[in-house]
Amino acid sequence: MPGIDECLLEAMSLPGARGASLVDWTSGLALGTAGDSPVGDHETTAAETAELARAAAEYDSFASDGSAAGDGVPAPGTPAPGGELPKGPPVEDLILTTRSGYHILRFVETAFDSSVFLHLWLDRDQGNLALARIRLRDLAEKLVLG
Amino acid sequence: MTVSPMLNRLAAERATGALLRDHGTLYLVDGRVVHAESPASPGLDVLLTTGGRLPREGWDEAVDRAGARREVGRFLVDSGRLHDGELEICHLGAVFDAAFFALAPASGPTRFRYGVGHWFGTVRPVSTEAVERETVRRRELLDSVWPYSAVDTAPVLPRPAAPGQTVTPRRRALLAAADGSRTPADIARRLGRPAFHTLLDVRRLAAAGLVETPLEPLPAAPPAVPTWVGEVAADPDVALLRRLRDALEASL
Repeated sequence: MPGIDECLLEAMSLPGARGASLVDWTSGLALGTAGDSPVGDHETTAAETAELARAAAEYDSFASDGSAAGDGVPAPGTPAPGGELPKGPPVEDLILTTRSGYHILRFVETAFDSSVFLHLWLDRDQGNLALARIRLRDLAEKLVLG
Repeated sequence: MTVSPMLNRLAAERATGALLRDHGTLYLVDGRVVHAESPASPGLDVLLTTGGRLPREGWDEAVDRAGARREVGRFLVDSGRLHDGELEICHLGAVFDAAFFALAPASGPTRFRYGVGHWFGTVRPVSTEAVERETVRRRELLDSVWPYSAVDTAPVLPRPAAPGQTVTPRRRALLAAADGSRTPADIARRLGRPAFHTLLDVRRLAAAGLVETPLEPLPAAPPAVPTWVGEVAADPDVALLRRLRDALEASL
């Protein structure tokens, strides 16, 4: 059963991997890091990617597959009874492409209240985006399900 | 950026023990932070049992069986109740959460008890610098969102949303738990969420006008003149007026 470090090391073994981290998107805290950061400082990268992940996790437009459209939306301030939440954010992953690389942010679903995602930074020439995306999904699952 | 000079010294000497402050306790092993607790933040038991990840009995049994040898965390994993990754994510979250409050500026004394350990045991030690840096970063983050710390400790009072204004599901749950008397710390415990995360959401809600921001108490005005001035004012005479003038001059 892998912990955070094993999970990040496995992510780093993907072709073209330059840096990996596990980040809390509410606070911007890096729970674990491996490899390099694009700005030379993992904590800065964690805080910045957390803002991106938070926007994706919180904006209504990404919140559901259209089931929230129409009049089914509870008005703010009058939440659904009990305030029950689905365990994880509705977004599965985010892919951001730069001139020289890819960033994949994969949300991790836990059975307790949390807000974490895996961030993988890939070299654009050496990385295989499709493969990395699938592997990251598996890693996110293995991290919490063993 | 020194949060606690004593903490730096203890890290340098690779100390093991408990650092006791006004708002919480940090546990060190070989100068690294292995655990933290604060009355302001929910413990791991609350985080793991509230959402139903662990039944309360499962937690209690782990504490009964492994608490004495300080290996509760290890036991939770070895007995199949939790996975390594889950334990690390939850524990690290709880440590940084409690440390934020434990390292809050406080007037009380800071004490260190050498050799004292925590029954939860070691999961993933963090350097004291990382904990201090994160604590300072979190303070700045709160103030950058809404620089009114009065909302952190006051009962959360929701305000009606403006037409078209939306609230995220996580904040909706927070507002639903706000009954007019619960503070952010109470709500965090009730929802099984880290207290800092709840503070941050409360500040965001306050910034959006969806939660009341209590007025900061005004500083009491210092008395301008000695109190006996009022008592003699009904019957003034020259001697008194002179004393009054002298007193005023002395206090200006």
